[in-house]
Amino acid sequence: MPPQAHAQTGLEIDHATHTIRFVRSFDAPAELVFEAWTRPEHLRCWWDAAGGLLAVCEIDLRPGGTFRFVSGAHPDMPFTGVYLEIVPPHRLVFEALNSTGRVQFASAGGKTRMTVEIVCGSAEQLEQFLQMGVAAGTSQTLDNLVAYIARQGVAA
Amino acid sequence: MQSLDGIFHALSNPTRRAILARLALGEANVAELMAPFALSQPTISKHLKVLESAGLIEGGRDAQRRPRRLVAATMKDAADWIEPFRRQWEQRFANLDTHLAKLQQAKPQEEN
Repeated sequence: MPPQAHAQTGLEIDHATHTIRFVRSFDAPAELVFEAWTRPEHLRCWWDAAGGLLAVCEIDLRPGGTFRFVSGAHPDMPFTGVYLEIVPPHRLVFEALNSTGRVQFASAGGKTRMTVEIVCGSAEQLEQFLQMGVAAGTSQTLDNLVAYIARQGVAA
Repeated sequence: MQSLDGIFHALSNPTRRAILARLALGEANVAELMAPFALSQPTISKHLKVLESAGLIEGGRDAQRRPRRLVAATMKDAADWIEPFRRQWEQRFANLDTHLAKLQQAKPQEEN
């Protein structure tokens, strides 16, 4: 089996609640995974799907505080939003791109089961969101795949 | 290849999703679909027309009963379309996984 087989990401599109849901387990305690989501020195290392360091990673971690992530490859496409709920190490809720991001961390024996939900306001918005993700994702897909395989090869 | 806009428009309606869920269990005709959904025949027919033009369903073999059934290939098109989006997040989470492993190596857990 390939080494990434243990780390599959589950994806569910819930059309009834306009929600995109990812589920993934990490071999790390919830406290650490929560920190990785909320501290700029950590988040800038992994947020860019293409694998680079974020050029800008600003986090004002309080309800109503804003965040701004900019990748070096796409300085014209910043990802910005506002934090709504911060409950370390269980829950992080933010608003971005007119939808709500809800990240939940469940501890289980030193491991963490993370659920990322993108809750859209309407079915139309869900479609737009997916289309946008696809537009951004398609160009990166091949590069990501190569980088991913290379990294897995090093890790194995 | 069906238009993805058409597919996602068809999927955006709860009644049409329920009809698809019913058809996933097996063929059914308009009369058989009317009962569980408590909808009029014209309403069901309208929804079936949208699903049909999106290529998500088609007429079954029995010409008299006029059953409808799912088109598996179109459902797969919709799933394939989501794949790059999924892969983008999968990549992001793989990065996170690598980063967490690095952090734990640098700072071994004291408990346990």
